[in-house]
Amino acid sequence: MLKTWIVTCETYLRQVKSWSFFFMVLGPFLMLGLTVGITYVSSRSNASSQNIAVIAETPALRQNFIAENPSNIDKQITTVTAAKKALHQNHLAGYLVLRQTDHQLRADYHGPKALGKGLKAQVQNYLAQTQQVTNYQQAKLTAKQQRLLQRTPKLTQHIAASTGTANLAKTISFWLIVTMIYIILVTYASITAQEIASDKGTKIMEIIFSSTTAVSYFVGKICGILLVILTQIAIYLLGGWAIYSWALSRPHLHAMWTQYHTLVTAILHNLLNLNLLYLLVGVVLFTLVAAYSGAVVAKAEDASKAAQPVVMLGMVGFFATFPFQNNLDALPVKIMSYVPFLSSYFMPMRIINGTVSLGTQWLSLGLALLTVAALAGYIGRKYQHLMLQTDSHSVWQHLFQRH
Amino acid sequence: MLSIQHIRKRFDDVLALNDVSFDVANGQILGLIGQNGAGKSTTFHSILNFITYDGQITWQGHAFTPQDFNHIGYLPEERSLMTKLTIEQQIVYLARLKGQKARDIRPQIDDWLARFAVKGTRKSKIGALSKGNQQKVQLICTLIHRPDLLILDEPFSGLDPVNADLLKRAILDAKQRGAAIIFSSHDMENVTELCDQLVMLRTGNVVLHGTLQDVRNQFGKTELFVTTDWSTDRLAALPGVASVTVRQPGQYRLHLTTAQAGPAIFQELTQGHYIEEFSQQPPTLDEIFRLKVGEDHA
Repeated sequence: MLKTWIVTCETYLRQVKSWSFFFMVLGPFLMLGLTVGITYVSSRSNASSQNIAVIAETPALRQNFIAENPSNIDKQITTVTAAKKALHQNHLAGYLVLRQTDHQLRADYHGPKALGKGLKAQVQNYLAQTQQVTNYQQAKLTAKQQRLLQRTPKLTQHIAASTGTANLAKTISFWLIVTMIYIILVTYASITAQEIASDKGTKIMEIIFSSTTAVSYFVGKICGILLVILTQIAIYLLGGWAIYSWALSRPHLHAMWTQYHTLVTAILHNLLNLNLLYLLVGVVLFTLVAAYSGAVVAKAEDASKAAQPVVMLGMVGFFATFPFQNNLDALPVKIMSYVPFLSSYFMPMRIINGTVSLGTQWLSLGLALLTVAALAGYIGRKYQHLMLQTDSHSVWQHLFQRH
Repeated sequence: MLSIQHIRKRFDDVLALNDVSFDVANGQILGLIGQNGAGKSTTFHSILNFITYDGQITWQGHAFTPQDFNHIGYLPEERSLMTKLTIEQQIVYLARLKGQKARDIRPQIDDWLARFAVKGTRKSKIGALSKGNQQKVQLICTLIHRPDLLILDEPFSGLDPVNADLLKRAILDAKQRGAAIIFSSHDMENVTELCDQLVMLRTGNVVLHGTLQDVRNQFGKTELFVTTDWSTDRLAALPGVASVTVRQPGQYRLHLTTAQAGPAIFQELTQGHYIEEFSQQPPTLDEIFRLKVGEDHA
């Protein structure tokens, strides 16, 4: 047990002290920062070319329009000549010319593309309101007549807020969990295969196997890699919590937090339950197979090849979930939620949907754990022979060879 | 004591070991010699349980158990360490796997580095060391936990004479404190110098076994070393002399057809007078090795 722990510590420390682990952990944060930064810079540089200019002979007509629709308006340009020049230089999306002739309002839009739906509706709304005011003035209606003519039918939509949020939370939780499982499985399958295969390339295994049993060493190795995975998950949880706390303390984000509070809580509830255990068991299963693949190769350079079947299996599970994202009660989902390797993807889907009993969840988890135990026992027995052997036997020969 | 009894190992169609038996007592050194592929490494792998075999191997009277791992020091034929670790990390890691405590090992590291004249400090990365220095670090890893059973596969390969002497001293120190030591070598000089007994393997079979003197004496004292003013032709004409080799001017080596020819040659050569050198010896281990290998090729 002590020697297993020594191997676990050595594997863990060597991995977490490497630059590759540092960049792997920081990667998503860097990507997030880069995406936000690029989007911000891009939106700022595109902002001016997405604006339109409003030109009117009557200043009041222009000012009222800008007052009612302040966004996406270039307030500096006031003449057609300036607008044409800016349009030519691609600094404007277009320009709107407002005119009033004989109490008739008219608007002409000039630009390379038609007005966007939103802006078009705003223009039409403004024209209709202004024309109505002019019409009322011309018709010399009493205040009562004006109120009567302004009366419009009402349409009110009654949407159950809780149901809508719950569905959105399910969708987001689904994507988060399957993506998280997929990324962790694929990343650590390669790392594990590489780690084991690099051992095999050296004769130090002979020294190690003259010091401890193969099973003890193998278990130590796997535990070391699992600790690395847990460290990465812990860093992400802490990082997420830090970002969340920071966002809460920003006054301008407080309104958004209030709006999405229910959604965020629902997503956290979906993630921080038995699903985390499924994630872990799934990772252990895939790690074991990856370790076996790494042990089968003849030399370290073949490690990436060895990891391929495990990566493919992970991909199968990941992509198989896609057709069922809106049909979480389908029969294939129910069947696959019991199949070890696939259950890591499919049972969390059912748990998120809230249509699976606790007993069923534990049954599926038990099957996965039994597979872990069987695989660990099998590989542990074969491990010493595989690691010390440097022949070119195929995977199938290794599988069925008797020693 | 390490006891190997009737070990047999087959790899597909190749019989790698065939009824190999020998013992290594505590405080004794056994040299395992043989050509490449004779079965030396297979013997070591059998002792260490790396492979399955027929027969029986016991250590201190019982079959090897995981608890015995802590008492074994093993140096494999090909040298290999974890190149990203420092010398200290590497030594401590392997020593801990041998049941040692890091706090007991760390204070010894500088002494061991000095003893083997390793060019580098405890903080040097293994990968930055020369091949020779990596080999010395590996030797330290093999010896630092003071094993009771030392298994050294070609320990002298790649070592210069100065470093070979350092290793010999370490092996003799281990013997002094009662360790049972078994090592393989192609250098018969080292075997002659260190071993209490030797085993020669040829295609998996034991062809020689015993103390060095016993083995040499099996071949008879057919080598005669003399210093004389006689000519080569005169020496070659002596009864029982098969051939004469000039070692130095006036110094000869006579190969005899039979050891019994010695006394008659002594009488003839000295005529009752003083002679500077007359030494009748069995063949050297190197010669015996070549002879035995030659039998196989014949």
